Amino acid sequence: MKTSSMAAESTVEVSNVTSENLLKPVYNAGKSIEIENVTVSFKTPKGIYTAVKDISLSVKKGEIICLIGHSGCGKSTLMGTISGMVKPSSGVVRANGNEVEKPGPDRGIVFQNYSLLPWLTVYQNIYEAVDSAIKHKTAAQKKELVINNLKMVKLYDHKDKLPGQLSGGMKQRVAIARAFAINPSILLLDEPFGALDALTKSSMHVELLKLWNLDNREKTIVMVTHDIEEAIFLSDRVVVMNNGPEATIKEIVDVPLPRPRNKKDIVHDEVYMTIHDKLMNLLIDKFSIDDIV
Amino acid sequence: MKKIFTIKTLLSVVYFAAGLLLVGGIWELISLFTKNEIPNPRMTWITFKEVMQNPMQNEPDVKGIGTKLLSSLARVGIGFGLGSIIAIPLGLLMGSSKTIMAIVNPIVQILRPVSPLAWFPLGLAIFKDSPAASIFMIFICSLWPTVINTAFGVSAIPQDHKNVGTAFGFSKWKYLTKIMLPFTLPHILTGLRLAIGVAWMVIVAGEMLSGGIGLGYFVWEEGFNGGSVAKIIVAIIIIGIVGLILDKLFMALQKKFSYAV
Repeated sequence: MKTSSMAAESTVEVSNVTSENLLKPVYNAGKSIEIENVTVSFKTPKGIYTAVKDISLSVKKGEIICLIGHSGCGKSTLMGTISGMVKPSSGVVRANGNEVEKPGPDRGIVFQNYSLLPWLTVYQNIYEAVDSAIKHKTAAQKKELVINNLKMVKLYDHKDKLPGQLSGGMKQRVAIARAFAINPSILLLDEPFGALDALTKSSMHVELLKLWNLDNREKTIVMVTHDIEEAIFLSDRVVVMNNGPEATIKEIVDVPLPRPRNKKDIVHDEVYMTIHDKLMNLLIDKFSIDDIV
Repeated sequence: MKKIFTIKTLLSVVYFAAGLLLVGGIWELISLFTKNEIPNPRMTWITFKEVMQNPMQNEPDVKGIGTKLLSSLARVGIGFGLGSIIAIPLGLLMGSSKTIMAIVNPIVQILRPVSPLAWFPLGLAIFKDSPAASIFMIFICSLWPTVINTAFGVSAIPQDHKNVGTAFGFSKWKYLTKIMLPFTLPHILTGLRLAIGVAWMVIVAGEMLSGGIGLGYFVWEEGFNGGSVAKIIVAIIIIGIVGLILDKLFMALQKKFSYAV
C-alpha cells in the first residue's frame, strides 16, 4: 500500500516537472544554445580588456558547430560563457532554455589539456565526475555508467592506469569519456585535439562522430579549433571569428555535406573544396612568400 | 641493469667508508694535539659500548640510553604531532583564502624567526612544568614549516585541476579530498620533514634547559657536568643518526606520494 501511494506521488511529481519543462521549448523550440549580445571583459593591470564583443549566436539541438579563429581571438572565452566557466559582462547565454550561471551536468566539457587528475586512475577520474554530476543514481549504476563509457572509448583495459601512464590520444579519450559519462545534452570541446599528432587526431574525429551517432545525433556539440580541415569534417556550421580584442563573428559558413562523411572521399568533394577555400580566405591573408610585404 | 646498480651501491659504500676514514683521521689528530682532552675514536668506542650496555634499563635513578632516547622521541612526537594537527588545516585555510592569508601570514612571518628556545620560559610560565614546556617549545617550532609549505601547496593548485572541480560540480568535500589534499600532500610532507628536523634539533637544547630524562639532559649532565667528553661525542653521534633516520623516513613518505603529472 505504502509503496503504491509513494509511486503515485512520484508520478505526480514527474508529470509536474515535465509539464513545466514543456512550456519552455515552446519559447525556444529546437534551440540548444542561445547567445544574445554577449560581451566579456576582464580587468587587467593595464585596464579593461574586452575579449569578445556583442556576440549573438544560436545553435540547434543536435547541431555540431566549430568556432574557428586565430589564437587569442576569444573563441575559448565565448565557449566559456556556454559552459558557465566564464561570466559574460553583459548579454545572456541560455543552454536548453535555462540561463547559464555556472557549469551544470547538462553541459559536458572537454578541456584543451585533458585536465585529468594525475593521482586518480582512469576509472576514478571518470567516476568522481559522474558521482558529482549525477545525483539520482546508486553507486552501482554509476559504476556501470563509467565502465560502459570506458568501453565506448576502448579504454576499459587501461582503467586502473594513472593518466601519466597514457599517451596524449588516450588521455583525450578519457576526457571525452568523462564528458560523455554525465550524459550532457551539450558537449563543449575546447581545442580538444590540438596537442595530438595528425594521425591520432584524424582517428579521434571519427571516434567522436561515432559516439555522436550512437547517441542518435541528439547531442549538440560546440568545438573550438584552429584547424580548417577538422572544422569542415566535423561541423554543420563553422563560425569564423575576427581577431581580438573585441572579437566578433566574422562570418558563419554552412557545411552542407551529407553525413556520414568519409574523410578520404570528402576532400575531393567540390563543396568541400569551396568551403575550404572560403575559410582559408577568411582566416589567412598570406599564401606565399610573394604575399609578404 | 641490475649489475650497474650493484656497482653503484658498492661505490657509495666505498665513498662512505672514505668519508668516515677522513673524519676519523682528523679526529685522531685533534685528540693528539689536545693530548686526549678530546678523546680519540678508540676511547670513544669504549665509552660507546659502556653507554650501550643495558640500553632499556628503567630504574628510578638509573636510566639506559634507549630509555632516554625514547623519552626525547616521545616529547618530539607529541609536540610535532600537536603542531601538525594545527598547522595542516591552518595552511589549507591560508592557501585557499586570500583574506585568511592576509590575516595570518604577517603573524607567522613575525613569529617564525624567533628562536624556539625563547618559547621555553613562556611554556614554563604557562604549564609550570619543564617537560610540558619543552613539548610546548617543540609544538611552536614545528608549526611554521608545515603552515608555510601547506599554504604554498594549496595556492599552487593548477587552474586545470580547479576547472575539473568546477566543471563537474564537485562538492566542497570532494574538492578537498580529491583535488586539494592529493595535490598538496607532497608540499605538506616537505613541511613536515622540515618541521621534524627543526624539532629534533630543538629538543636537545630544550632538554638541557629542562632537565629530566632525555638525550639533551644526558649531554649536559653526564657529559659536560660529569666531565666525560667521550659521552658528549657518543650523544652527538646518536642524535645525528636518529635525526638522519627521521629525515629518511619522511623522505620515503614524500617519495611515495609524489606522482608524475
